[in-house]
Amino acid sequence: MKELEAQFEQFVGQVAEPPRVARYAVNEAMIRNWVEAHDDLNPVYVDADAARETGRSGVICPPAMVSTWVMQGYRRWRAVQRQQADGVVEDHAYFRLLALLAEHGFTSVVATSQEQEYVRELQPGDHVTCHFTIESISPVKRTGLGLGCFITLNKRYVDQHGDLLVDERFVMLRFDPSTQEKVA
Amino acid sequence: MSIETLDLRGRSVGDTLPELAIPLDRTTIVAAAVASQDFEDVHHDPTKANERGTPDIFMSINSTNGFLDRYVTDVFGPATRFKKVALRLGVPNFPGDTMTFSGEVTEVAGDDVTLKVVGRNSRGAHVTATVTITPSQEAAK
Repeated sequence: MKELEAQFEQFVGQVAEPPRVARYAVNEAMIRNWVEAHDDLNPVYVDADAARETGRSGVICPPAMVSTWVMQGYRRWRAVQRQQADGVVEDHAYFRLLALLAEHGFTSVVATSQEQEYVRELQPGDHVTCHFTIESISPVKRTGLGLGCFITLNKRYVDQHGDLLVDERFVMLRFDPSTQEKVA
Repeated sequence: MSIETLDLRGRSVGDTLPELAIPLDRTTIVAAAVASQDFEDVHHDPTKANERGTPDIFMSINSTNGFLDRYVTDVFGPATRFKKVALRLGVPNFPGDTMTFSGEVTEVAGDDVTLKVVGRNSRGAHVTATVTITPSQEAAK
């Protein structure tokens, strides 16, 4: 494990992957799917008049939805799964880190914490790009899910003008489920 | 609105928020993951979730964040604006769980109100969050 941990240093501070440009602008249809799934009846997400009554210029996007815009879609998700199964590693720091961890059995992932600072509310028409940086990697630890390490990513979401929308710190655990200690 | 809406103005430290119980079935967990374009198998495929060391599919962090937003604006109304949300996950939310949100005011600084919010299921705290919100500019006038 010391050998593995010694390799973490080369990843810290690196750009994780190329900037992710949203596939489409913030839009009312995706917002509606989201608020329905969360059974959220706040009218500012779907009703422009109601939003204007609260001082906005029109409907806004739910704050927690920011990451949705830069998700890569089902087809790309399938392609990445196939690549991983075939051992293809794209030449980005984050892909190389995940491949290194997978070689050591850390194949599974859970998110553990997230901090988001909202600079301004997103509205339909905004076009989001996210810049990912690997901020830190913890030593290998024993967790309830098995041996693993915590990876902290910084995500800076900017609009089409390059202005900051949301600054995020996202922490996830990459772990080896076969090392889980069963509770009797 | 399923719960009483409180005015953000005039809140003081120690004020408690009304609780909101959200029953979570399998479809809720899958619908919320897909609405965020998250296709990780642990959020929709029980067999794959088992292989990865969990007994069933579980809620995604983005969905948790979405339900947290919903709770806060259910309580404080549509004029609420979010400045910062810091959340930490504890026990997972599985199909069949009910997550009950509760909260209290922990800080008031100018127009900003900071809340501690916890979403619990029957096994413990699923999410513990610090949320800073402001009233709308209009409401602040």
